[in-house]
Amino acid sequence: MTEEIILDVQNVTKQFPGITALSNVSIQFKRGEIHGLCGENGAGKSTLMKILAGVYPYGTYDGSVFYEGQELKLTSNSIKEARAEGIAIVYQELTLVPDMTVGENIFLGKEITENGVINWDKTYAECRKILEHYKLDVNPNDVVKHLGVGKMQMVEIAKALSENAKVLILDEPTSALTEAEIDKLMEILESLQEKGITSIYISHKLEEFFRITDSITVLRDGKTVITAPTKELSLEKLVSYMVGREMKERFPHSTRKPNGTIFEVQNLHAIDPEEPSREILKGVTFDLKRGEILGIAGLMGSGRTELVTTIFGEMGKITSGKMLLEGKEINIKSAKDAMEKGISLVPEDRKKQGLVLIQSILNNLSLPNLYSFSKTWRIDKNQELKSCLQQVKNLSIKISNIENEVNSLSGGNQQKVVIGKWLMTIPKILIMDDPTRGVDVGAKYEIYKLMNELAEKGVSIIMISSELEEVLGMSDRVMVMHEGRSNGILDITEATQEKIMALATGIA
Amino acid sequence: MESTSVVTSKGTTNAVGKWFRRNLQTSMIIIMMIVIWIFFSILTKGAFIGSQNISNLFRQMTVTSILAVGMVLVIVTGGIDLAVGKFAGFVSVIVAFLQAFVWYKLIPDQPLLAATLSVIAGLSVGILVGMLEGYIVSYLGVPAFITTLGFQWIWNGAILLVTGGRTIPANQPYFSYIAQGYLPLWLGWVVAAVVIAALFYTMFNSRAQKRRYGFATNKLSLDMAKTIALSLVILFYVYMVNQYNGVQVPVLLMVIVAFIMAYLGTNTPFGRHAYALGGNMEAARLSGINIKRNVFLIFVLMGLLCGVAGIVLASYVGYGTISAGGGYELDAIASCILGGTSPLGGSGTVFGAIIGSLIMASLTNGLQLLNVTPAWQYIVKGAILVGAVYIDVYFKKNR
Repeated sequence: MTEEIILDVQNVTKQFPGITALSNVSIQFKRGEIHGLCGENGAGKSTLMKILAGVYPYGTYDGSVFYEGQELKLTSNSIKEARAEGIAIVYQELTLVPDMTVGENIFLGKEITENGVINWDKTYAECRKILEHYKLDVNPNDVVKHLGVGKMQMVEIAKALSENAKVLILDEPTSALTEAEIDKLMEILESLQEKGITSIYISHKLEEFFRITDSITVLRDGKTVITAPTKELSLEKLVSYMVGREMKERFPHSTRKPNGTIFEVQNLHAIDPEEPSREILKGVTFDLKRGEILGIAGLMGSGRTELVTTIFGEMGKITSGKMLLEGKEINIKSAKDAMEKGISLVPEDRKKQGLVLIQSILNNLSLPNLYSFSKTWRIDKNQELKSCLQQVKNLSIKISNIENEVNSLSGGNQQKVVIGKWLMTIPKILIMDDPTRGVDVGAKYEIYKLMNELAEKGVSIIMISSELEEVLGMSDRVMVMHEGRSNGILDITEATQEKIMALATGIA
Repeated sequence: MESTSVVTSKGTTNAVGKWFRRNLQTSMIIIMMIVIWIFFSILTKGAFIGSQNISNLFRQMTVTSILAVGMVLVIVTGGIDLAVGKFAGFVSVIVAFLQAFVWYKLIPDQPLLAATLSVIAGLSVGILVGMLEGYIVSYLGVPAFITTLGFQWIWNGAILLVTGGRTIPANQPYFSYIAQGYLPLWLGWVVAAVVIAALFYTMFNSRAQKRRYGFATNKLSLDMAKTIALSLVILFYVYMVNQYNGVQVPVLLMVIVAFIMAYLGTNTPFGRHAYALGGNMEAARLSGINIKRNVFLIFVLMGLLCGVAGIVLASYVGYGTISAGGGYELDAIASCILGGTSPLGGSGTVFGAIIGSLIMASLTNGLQLLNVTPAWQYIVKGAILVGAVYIDVYFKKNR
């Protein structure tokens, strides 16, 4: 690896009305390195990336960016310019067209044409070349929507690389990937490194930095805190740089004592009502104690989300088995039914399922609770505002005005709004589907603390998580799912990562 | 849009500026309306702003406005209703048919009862058909665009069946009063006084409520200024129309309908659920909202409003004709979009739709006063619709 600087960010300051997103940020990226960029949500990572990718063109920020020794002056139509220069970005939300093939997607916007007509043979041949060159195991003729998330990510990378990118920016590439897919991604990044491509790697999963990066930069409140070679850092140091204080433990301590069964699921089978031949649950049995946090682990596609949405009355059609709440058999047909019985669900995807992004924080918090603020059919808006402000305070959600769009909040605070709206329904059982996905370390800790407090108050929590450390750190017991079945329940005292993985992959 | 901001404002000008930025879209469209009015007033040497013309202008906009007010909620939930124009037309010929051929046989010499029964019949048809359309869209899952396009053709045929191609009169005095009547001058002032009293009562009551909940209230001077300004607008309007014939009955009807719909949209769970499901259907569903029922009820409401519009239409023209209501659905949709309703669903206000339809009516009226030919009227209206939405897009992008 050479010590040549390919991308040099010097004293960049970016201001938005009322807020300084970046202040005097300087980072040097070396050619061929994998450079980790971390920081809590709102630290300025996204803003910096948007400057590099040309979303915010030259002149809208102060300071300068040098690329291969030349000052980068991207003009207003600059996303395309940045790509042409060789800076490509792979966004957190995949930007592929689901109904098009891999080849069509990769050449979208730069179709290979002859006399204005697309030459498909050449397109697919070129596509195959690119995929082989970077050792990406994808078929150019496959339709993207039939691929798994991991392969979609590869296509996304191939698309970025197809323009001879020299710098590849990856914004939380692993947030939706399974362990195996993450391994594959790491391999790909290493092979890109051998070809001299610089990767800027943004993630909330700090362990990944130590697996893959050569150096790490930490941003906090729009400022660079440190840039250091990875080998000089540790997980603890990284976390303390990010939050600006020592963080002794990642999971807060709890004194809860679960007792008495509140909810039981017995041999639950369910099918997909849209596609009746597909069985989504093939026998799930578990019980939930009052004041307990029950973790649900399992690989993507193991039926975790299907299980909880079926319990919530919004997905599968139950074909056999039963559910008992406080000893009585219950039948839930819709989210409304579930809420009336005291079951709430914090859904997996806060943007798609949790929030109405164009509405205010206030409206989002009150959405499931409007009837409780209403006398007869009229909403008492003062009561609504009062309850919601109280909830904002209880969960210490950082807002400037409750009337602002919920979209203006950082990921962690958005997640708190989703949790908050459900807590206002005063549930007996709170189901949380990946509650800390895409949330920064500090906010994660606060969500964990909140979960402990709820459990101590006697609320029973079912928590799905993709992170094994989280499952082990937070649960009283862990249920592991495999191919639509409950494949075993481990007490936390006996649970280990190895045991969980063995159950999740079906070896045990 | 009503705002319950907890931040107290420093000064009146500051607060006005803040309101302006927060309600950019509403402000823009009000400014646009004023510009159009000034423009026409100058070109027509004041005839546009004369009391007779103002009185006619507001009367002309009522049918479209009533449809637009219902259309807002339909579009907010992510739907569209292409049948409203012809449906209102169908109601108008049904009502005319009943009056011309049915009531005089069944209940001769009872004009008031006949008019009442006509209204009830019109509203019933509206609700029943609304239920049918709502059922097809929401429970059978046929897209609203297709369902209502189909119904538009169905009404075309049904109108021909009912009229047999003829024009049916609907001009009994009681019935005509609905869209052609005027309140006596003194009653106009009484209505104005009652409304103004209600405004002040609501203002003080809302301040008291806020204090009871421990919220900071706006400065009294600011709230007073707002209420007084609104009162002056009302007084000025009544003064203007009283110079001519008095407060127009259909305009009063339209204001009541708009008020009820605006209240329904922002102050009831039903209305708020509609906005939520238009903004993000999945999130709304998981929040325990019964989406199908909500969409169904929106169509029932839309049907009811088509009934109201059809009755006003029949009374306004005095006839049921085969061309009744043609193209009104597009006027209604344009009014909503002009008034800031997002075509993608999730946002839009009744107030905006009313101003939007006032702009459309002003354009038609002003261009007619200027003796612009219908061909150019269409071209100008089309250009202004696209231009206005572009200005809005531009400001949103460069905010």
